[in-house]
Amino acid sequence: MKFGGSSLADGSKISHVADLIKSYSKNSIVVVVSAMGEVTDRLLEASEKAERGDQEYVKKFSVYIREIHLAACKNSIRNKDLLEETSKRIEALCDELYRVLTGVSLLKELTPKSKDYILSFGERLSSIILGGALRDRGLKVKVLTGGEAGIVTDSNFGEANPLTEATFYQVKERIEALISEGIIPVITGYIAEDQYGKITTLGRGGSDLTATLIAASLKSNEVWIWTDVEGLMVADPKIIPEAKVLPKISYEEATEMVMFGAKGMHPRALEPAMVHKIPILIKNTFNPEAKGTLICDETSINKDKPVKMVALIKDVGMISLIGGSMVGARGTAAQAFTTLAKQGINIMMISQSVSESDISIVIKRDSLSKAVNALELSMLGKGIVRDISYENDVYVLAIVGAGIKYIPGVAARVLNALAKEKINVYMISAGSSSNSLSVVIKEKDGYLAVKKVYEEFNLGDI
Amino acid sequence: MRIIIFGCGIVGRSLLELLKVRKKELNISYGLAPKILGVVDSKGFAINTEGLNIDEILRIKDLGRSVGEMENYGKKGAFELEILENIEFDLLIDMTPTNIVNGEPALSLIKRAFSLKLNVITTNKGPLALAMPLLLELAKHNNVSFRFSGTVGGGTPLLDFAKKCLMGDKILAIRGILNGTTNYILTEMEKGKEFSEALREAQVKGFAEADPSLDIDGIDSASKLVILANWILGKKITLKDVKVQGIRDIRVKDLEDAKKKGKTIKLIASVNGEAKVEAETIPKDSNLAVSGSLNAVSFISQYAGEETIIGRGAGGKETASSVIRDMIEIRGLMG
Repeated sequence: MKFGGSSLADGSKISHVADLIKSYSKNSIVVVVSAMGEVTDRLLEASEKAERGDQEYVKKFSVYIREIHLAACKNSIRNKDLLEETSKRIEALCDELYRVLTGVSLLKELTPKSKDYILSFGERLSSIILGGALRDRGLKVKVLTGGEAGIVTDSNFGEANPLTEATFYQVKERIEALISEGIIPVITGYIAEDQYGKITTLGRGGSDLTATLIAASLKSNEVWIWTDVEGLMVADPKIIPEAKVLPKISYEEATEMVMFGAKGMHPRALEPAMVHKIPILIKNTFNPEAKGTLICDETSINKDKPVKMVALIKDVGMISLIGGSMVGARGTAAQAFTTLAKQGINIMMISQSVSESDISIVIKRDSLSKAVNALELSMLGKGIVRDISYENDVYVLAIVGAGIKYIPGVAARVLNALAKEKINVYMISAGSSSNSLSVVIKEKDGYLAVKKVYEEFNLGDI
Repeated sequence: MRIIIFGCGIVGRSLLELLKVRKKELNISYGLAPKILGVVDSKGFAINTEGLNIDEILRIKDLGRSVGEMENYGKKGAFELEILENIEFDLLIDMTPTNIVNGEPALSLIKRAFSLKLNVITTNKGPLALAMPLLLELAKHNNVSFRFSGTVGGGTPLLDFAKKCLMGDKILAIRGILNGTTNYILTEMEKGKEFSEALREAQVKGFAEADPSLDIDGIDSASKLVILANWILGKKITLKDVKVQGIRDIRVKDLEDAKKKGKTIKLIASVNGEAKVEAETIPKDSNLAVSGSLNAVSFISQYAGEETIIGRGAGGKETASSVIRDMIEIRGLMG
């Protein structure tokens, strides 16, 4: 079970989580925790301020961190001795954090290694408090950092990659023994260690990745991700108020949905579960009765319904490169993509007609003007690209479902539904894995398009 | 090449003997000029960054004493892994005894060596049987060479044959007799001797250990199978994934019955999807029906069909010669 920051935002929420874990304690459980609330963001901020030498901020910040964590202890641990013991450990960690931040502020230097070390305090603090709260409820607990639990990574600080075989072996060795003794391991998410014992952070996917790595090591039956939403939705409830939670989707569908901005798991975190076929259940901490969304192997997915979900990606812009001379001119696309890559701009969607006379690209809207400028400088006036145009009033309509590849006519039905409402389509692209279909439309048509697709595929009916 | 040696039992001493006797030849033919900076045994260690004298090491070992008692360079007591960080060298050779329960202390030693970017040769099956996927991953991650020819087949180059000679083909399955002791026992039982008598003989002849249970319960075969499966087939398995059965239940009568049908019983380790070690009844004229303490392994590949290698299993000299093979290979990769 992994608990996200919002589930652990304060003492009463930590209490609630501890009760929840206790209610499931007949099962063998491993608990993975994020930092409390937004603590990781605050730590990041503090480390940057410290790098600029802002010692006043470091002082104020240290007081703040100490206060929120001590308050959380007080509100989640009732036994006096336990409270005192836990508070002491929190104090000691906060002292250490203060010293580290002061060191950074004096040196005015923040290496990726020291940044990871500073960020690790978030989870180290939250795990100790939850550990105390669980002991307070009569459970046997062992609090471990990701590294102590056996997760080993390369030394790429800031976004370390797990060495999976080494991790599987070590986690199995260390955690299985605890479980067999009836102890609940409480493990810090997001942070791990390299082979020299230095603290690293996992970057994208963070704590969820910790949870799936541990599950894969132990060959767990399920991974439960406790969060503050009911699960993955069929559509944005702001557009479709009656939209429901999806009960069951495949790993591949989940990967697509996350890319389309659904609040779910990063694909990197899905990977270990997908490889070892361990189902992931997304549940709401504050409504544990609700079923949530189960992410599992495609074979157990109902394929009668081609489309599972429709989403609108709003913060996008489209660029088109046009020119008759582009026909047969080799390397035009490569040059455009290289230009964007050099600017650090990620390309979300690409299409080119067979005539080769135009290429369309979708990118994040906030990098649109930067991208257009760079493309103009590198490609215009060279006799190949005649014109570069862009649209900043477009949305991407994304349709997701594993059945798209089994059931013909999905694209036709989407286009038809849009045509009936006279909604123009500017660009269309289906992934080669065919789990999704993306369509570029005008902003003004966005909500209507979602509604029409929702109706066309009966998405209310699950 | 600067080397530190861990373990100075039969294999370790055989290696030092070979290095001494073959010194000139190894240097001229392979450019291999090993310098032993350190030797560690169970009771102490000796270190000289200028290189230890092999004769002196052998002399003190022949007296049945620890290298920790060597003059000037010896030190009694446990070797702390931290010492490795303070010596500059190229290759660590682990010839410590096999521990099949947790692989220690070799497992921690090899992990530490990798993290220090050291090449490693081991003749110890324990760490490999228990954690081979981990060790291969860490060696690759640290970009160092890791060789273990001596763990399977002793002097018979089984691993190299499959990895190099069958390169470009796809090996689908492996079947073989990987333990000399049990094969010797089964061969003698076929001649009518009882299990216990055959076992005693094997012990007298020096094939079997004082505690032969690792052999006769199939654990040794299973360990070697794990190594073959990981290295040759790329299967990420450990000892826990192998279904193991020994030869304790085999009776003389079983062998007689098999013989009447032109068959024989062998302890076969195989991996073909599932990994297992069990006594199988196979035709007398099968490639694997070798007798005595021989080992035999068949590689079944997609295009070349079945190839079988037969050879003597482990022995001090044989295993030491496989270490030299590994040293030459690592020497080649180094420059």
